[in-house]
Amino acid sequence: MRRRRATALATLLALGAALAVVAAAYATPERAAAPSAQAGSDAALVKCGKTRTIGFMAPVTGPAASIGIQQVHWAQYYVSTYNKTHKTKFKLQTEDTQLGAPTGTAEALKGAQALAGSSNVLGVVGPAGSNEIVGVTKSLMDGGLAWVSGSSTRTSLTTDGTRTGYMFRTVPPDAIQGPTAANFILKKLKYTRVYIIDDQETYSTGLADAVQQVLKAAGATVNRDGVSQQQSDFSSLIAKIPRDTQIVYIPWQLPPKGQAFGNQMKAAGKGTIKLMGADGLYDSSFASVGAHVYDTNFPLNPKSKIIAGFKKGHGGDGEYFGAPTYAATQVVGNAIDRACAKGSTTRAAVRAAIRSTKIPAAQSLIGVAIRFNRNGDLSTLHKFGLYKSNGTVFVPIAG
Amino acid sequence: MNWSLFFDLTVSGLTLGSLYALIALGYSLVYGILKLLNFAHGDVYMIGAFLGWYALHALGGPVNPTFTGAVVLFLMFVVAMLGCGVLGVAIERFAYRPLRNAPRIAPLISALGVSIFLQNSALLIFGAAFRDYDTFDLIGVKTYNIGQLFFSVPQLLTVVAAIGLMVALTLFVARSRLGKAMRSTSFDREAASMMGIDVDRVISVTFFIGSALAGAAGVMFALVFGQIYHFMGFIAGLKGFTAAVLGGIGSIPGAMVGGLIVGLAESYATGYLPQGSTFQNLYVFALLILVILIRPSGLFGKAAISKV
Repeated sequence: MRRRRATALATLLALGAALAVVAAAYATPERAAAPSAQAGSDAALVKCGKTRTIGFMAPVTGPAASIGIQQVHWAQYYVSTYNKTHKTKFKLQTEDTQLGAPTGTAEALKGAQALAGSSNVLGVVGPAGSNEIVGVTKSLMDGGLAWVSGSSTRTSLTTDGTRTGYMFRTVPPDAIQGPTAANFILKKLKYTRVYIIDDQETYSTGLADAVQQVLKAAGATVNRDGVSQQQSDFSSLIAKIPRDTQIVYIPWQLPPKGQAFGNQMKAAGKGTIKLMGADGLYDSSFASVGAHVYDTNFPLNPKSKIIAGFKKGHGGDGEYFGAPTYAATQVVGNAIDRACAKGSTTRAAVRAAIRSTKIPAAQSLIGVAIRFNRNGDLSTLHKFGLYKSNGTVFVPIAG
Repeated sequence: MNWSLFFDLTVSGLTLGSLYALIALGYSLVYGILKLLNFAHGDVYMIGAFLGWYALHALGGPVNPTFTGAVVLFLMFVVAMLGCGVLGVAIERFAYRPLRNAPRIAPLISALGVSIFLQNSALLIFGAAFRDYDTFDLIGVKTYNIGQLFFSVPQLLTVVAAIGLMVALTLFVARSRLGKAMRSTSFDREAASMMGIDVDRVISVTFFIGSALAGAAGVMFALVFGQIYHFMGFIAGLKGFTAAVLGGIGSIPGAMVGGLIVGLAESYATGYLPQGSTFQNLYVFALLILVILIRPSGLFGKAAISKV
């Protein structure tokens, strides 16, 4: 009898849970309507209204959260300053991509599908990582959405022709970052024994290839290795690095991994070997490894009033990795405003407006006007900044 | 022969191997008693690492600890081992005991469920971000060397502590009354019960010990490699399981030797084989398949003889 009652109770609970799931699915009309909305979303007329929605994809949690949160802060800063001075308002629909987590790309894909299926979203800022962009391309394009990334640097993302007219970025590509890093190693540091370790992801392997190519062409001795982003134990890999190596170049995406690698190098008695990261490691956690750490990051205008305003509201911290995301949000916001001039618009119109962006240098924190070439790259910016750790944070150095 | 590289890889392999051995012991103990593959064991190890982190921060953090580094370390181990021990007992009580007489597939599925439950609970409670142990602030960055043999304090601590724990466990199982009860239960649960042994209690103790060892391994891992995250138990658990199978699941010395073999194989593969760091897991699991093909019961395992 008791068993029968327990079975009935369990059945009731299971039924209740199933009903709750169904109810929840129907209670989220944007997601439920995703497939049909996506089919005609490219040309569907959207009433702009007083508050317009920008899709925003960033690693809010996960291993790359320390740099993702900087992007969040800078995007929010654009929205809040814009909303203070305009009658129309923007709001962000944020999707957490969990870059670098085991489920990272799947989370990014889920986020892209949610944005594509949400009819209010007119354009997207992000995602952060090049591998994420590869993963979300189809979903965003199917939804007719343009996206502007403030940190993905893999060269082929804009040059392979698969995202033309949809993808834009406010940072220079690795075709510029790679030679900047390699020439710094060769000409400024005058090092010829280099060990390169990529993290096996799209962003990292591309950048490592670019640096390796320049170093080898100059006759430097280059060893190359790879390590999974999921790995935390680098001891065996570190054992392989010859003690006479002058610098280890790690163009990784996750600052905590760079920090762990640097600390394990010190523990293995190889702490005197210099380390160099790229924009993905431009974070105080990697800088904290020591004063022997170098990095490259996106160029910014140090005299920008926008940066000064941001720092004032964030305890003096510039959170520079996130700054190009401000420019990306600015581009999308600006395009939505223009596309919404008549009160309604389409995603196709927003894409066209992004493509024809012209933000003057005076309003841009990257120090130059923001315009895009046919591929979606900045047509005005051709350099990367060089930085050295002071033991706590990165400070700019002459290239 | 590059001896410097060889010694570096050996130290790294022994450190890793010690961790795997501690995890493998948990698998072996539980399998020995219940014939159950406790796939949640790797996640208990992850929880141990987090408990150690919370203990460290409750004691003032790595930069300004309330007590000396050694005392803080000791307390971190105590908290992680006790916490994981209790968690192991709870897992056995609620997820495995009700299925003790069910077909063997049922507790196996329950173990996988507990594993996913723990991983996602950790994600919910601790978040997806990495936590840093800041070992260097706590115990310093100094590296010691004997000739070309370089090692750090956390590495030395890991190997010594792992050996100490394994010896203590071996003595406990071989010489104590409870150890004797564990061996009897492992040999024949029903007969042990008829001889007056409280089988439930013995099983609980086994889970407590195995999980406590996993907790210790979690703290050791974090001290050596610096960082912890909610998914760290998955691969470590698989490697620990590999070590247990390699050594002969159910055998305590087998788990120890299996752990060291897996650790050294991983380290040497990374150092000497082409693209070793990229494909180290491929090499380790290939070794497992090879050993199983040649010796299905593992290095120290005994082939089951069934009388017909």
